Amino acid sequence: MKVEEFDAVIVGGGLSGLRVAIELADTFNVAIISKVYPLRSHSGAAQGGINASLGNTEAGKEDNPERHAYDTVYGSDYLADQDAVMVLAKEAPKIVIELESMGAPFSRLDSGLIAQRPFGGAGFPRACYAGDRTGHALLHTVYEQCIRKGVKFYDEYFLIDLIKFGNSIAGLVSLDIASGELVIFRSEVIVLATGGFGRIYKRSTNAIINTGDGLGAAFRIDIPMQDCEFVQFHPTTLFGTNILITEGARGEGGLLFNKHKERFMKNVAPKAMELAPRDIVARAIDTEILEGRGFEDSYVHLDLTHLGRDKIMERLPGIREISMYFAGVDPIETPIPVQPGQHYSMGGIASKYKGDFGETPVEGLYSIGETSCISVHGANRLGGNSLLETVVFGRYVGRAIFKKNSRKKLGSADIKKAEEASLKSIEKLFTTWNKNKGKKPVEIRQAMKTTMDKNVGIFREESNLQQAIIDLQKVQKDFKTMHLETSDRRFNFGLIRALELRNMVDIAEVTAYAALWRKESRGAHFRTDHPKRNDKDFLVHSLVSRKNGELIIETKPVTLGIFEVKERAY
Amino acid sequence: MTKKEKTFIIYRQKTKNSKPTYERFKVPLTPGMTVLEALFYIQDYYDHTLAFRYTCRGAICGSCGMTINKFPQLACKTQVEPSEIKKHPRVQELVFGEISDWDKDNEILIEPLPNMPIIKDLIVDMEPFWEFYKEVKPYFNREINDTPPESKQTPENAKRIEQLIYCILCGICWTCPVSGKRKDYLGPSSLAKAFRFIDDTRIAEKQRRIIYQSAMQENGVPACEKIFACNAVCPKGVMPGIAIDKIRKLETK
Repeated sequence: MKVEEFDAVIVGGGLSGLRVAIELADTFNVAIISKVYPLRSHSGAAQGGINASLGNTEAGKEDNPERHAYDTVYGSDYLADQDAVMVLAKEAPKIVIELESMGAPFSRLDSGLIAQRPFGGAGFPRACYAGDRTGHALLHTVYEQCIRKGVKFYDEYFLIDLIKFGNSIAGLVSLDIASGELVIFRSEVIVLATGGFGRIYKRSTNAIINTGDGLGAAFRIDIPMQDCEFVQFHPTTLFGTNILITEGARGEGGLLFNKHKERFMKNVAPKAMELAPRDIVARAIDTEILEGRGFEDSYVHLDLTHLGRDKIMERLPGIREISMYFAGVDPIETPIPVQPGQHYSMGGIASKYKGDFGETPVEGLYSIGETSCISVHGANRLGGNSLLETVVFGRYVGRAIFKKNSRKKLGSADIKKAEEASLKSIEKLFTTWNKNKGKKPVEIRQAMKTTMDKNVGIFREESNLQQAIIDLQKVQKDFKTMHLETSDRRFNFGLIRALELRNMVDIAEVTAYAALWRKESRGAHFRTDHPKRNDKDFLVHSLVSRKNGELIIETKPVTLGIFEVKERAY
Repeated sequence: MTKKEKTFIIYRQKTKNSKPTYERFKVPLTPGMTVLEALFYIQDYYDHTLAFRYTCRGAICGSCGMTINKFPQLACKTQVEPSEIKKHPRVQELVFGEISDWDKDNEILIEPLPNMPIIKDLIVDMEPFWEFYKEVKPYFNREINDTPPESKQTPENAKRIEQLIYCILCGICWTCPVSGKRKDYLGPSSLAKAFRFIDDTRIAEKQRRIIYQSAMQENGVPACEKIFACNAVCPKGVMPGIAIDKIRKLETK
């Protein structure tokens, strides 16, 4: 049995995980395990910006953290926890300045200050950016600081299961992808920062690796999943591949047209137009397509041609590159074909269950970033708030762990017993897959994605969601009899993808189940059979867990009290 | 109507020291299919042990560098149709194993990245790559500080390093023949990274000096033979060769 011991183990090498490591590196014996090299993480795909009310531009002079918090809560359709949002907004200017001090290569204004651009649902130009590759620039910067601090990395290690002892976390079992060996990480502090679970859908902007591994592992040790019904569909993903076309393209003046050359956003958001929040723009585009006003019944046009070559080359060079490589279209001359696609998971591991932000119900286990539901995004996340969340709560949770400093003695006989049991169950799982005579993983994965796309998409209703539940139960059943040859485990990505599927089938079921339960429309969750928001019954967070094999739902109150709950219109 | 298919010839190697083989797979084509998608098809339907790295499928993460039709490139960014045989006078012929019967017009040949030890199939050992990356000390060493205002930089100065920021550390520039013959060569990627910091107007003079000196080690800038294969193959237009040249010119100042 191979065992590594640390004061704290961080799972995931994206912005969230890296930022925790920086906070702890000087005082804790800390390790990051990641299934890919950290610089491959999906944080690097974020394009448009990171919000902070710096007020660097003339138009942004009056901005402040309260306005940022208000826009975020309003954009969330009031489901965000207002105390968490205040932390997010107040920390924002500091964290952006901190990133700059680490060397982040932000774009600049003539004044020399960090440049800021308008984003959907924001009252001021608030999104700080590095061209249209902001996530890439920040991921590299924070990784560089980890190198500077000598953080220990275990690259290409896959989290399989968490080990719990009593109600405390005791460690985790991982697969060393290169050697194929199972390795135990023994630690009484574990931070899950494994990103989102967008790959339960086929049509998604997410990296192939966004499979909810942290969520799946947490769900299996009985941690509830919060608000998973709230799935963000990004309005503008490239037709064909669904690669993200940043909101910054609209922030810089890009316009949306249907095939009759109408700016259809005037029908749903006459004031905000293209810069209404993502849920509203995504529904508007889908409506155009469903009602026959799209191109080839599949997409609308995002027109940048009027911005001119210079502005496109300066502000949106990555978007131009993506459009040319993946759609054969040069946005300087031709509009970009776009359609909505799954983009972000507002829900995640239930946080602040009893303690503080990022704390789960299991002692010593934390979750941050897209993996978690802290909840700062509520029913709909504003663009520019996800990069912000990763670093703000990465630092916050790092500090909380440092303060607690609960480094206990590990390796008692009981904990070793729990480790051995966990190893044994994984070996048994691999043997079962080997022996099974059922379907191939790909068939099961596709059945899951097909029903999620079809029945748990932008527009939802009772019968579709019922169908999704039936389909996903079948998926679960097929997964139990799935066949996969597991004898050679070195760099066996078939095995990795099967382990990812193990996480996804659970989270897909949770998502559909919560969507069926929530009989109202709020933010990204739109029920055609319940088109209105219903604060009386549903201004609550959903919590899904599995008891005796059955999914059950509980609720948790939303933290209000700072901003008055109102109707939402743009 | 029968579906259009394409044959892929894939480099296979079981372990670090085993003899390579080539294996053919027929993949049904879908509109706009990329080489990466074709590899997933093979993994899903024919052989799930086929090993290759991937992450974003959008040319931003740097995972899927490999040699396609004898030219190193990102699999996610390379279309299956029309199949293209890329060539460049600065890129030498790359040989991995013996393949005598490759039908260039109808078959796509997939091999690993050059000049890195092959561990399994299309997976190369990236450890030396990351070690050399770290060796140039690619980071700011200012005090981490969150008190406004931020340090200023003119838009012109921010622009100087923009192209270097685009580097995704995919390793494709290790096509450089010097990386092939000298196992201790820091490589174009590390040196371009060094210049990203050297040329950043915000960095402290002392740190700039440290990075400059690491880049100027005997196995760094001086080892570059100005072949500029790196510029020819870089999928992000970073032009590492130009960065190396600029570091070299700093010395003579």
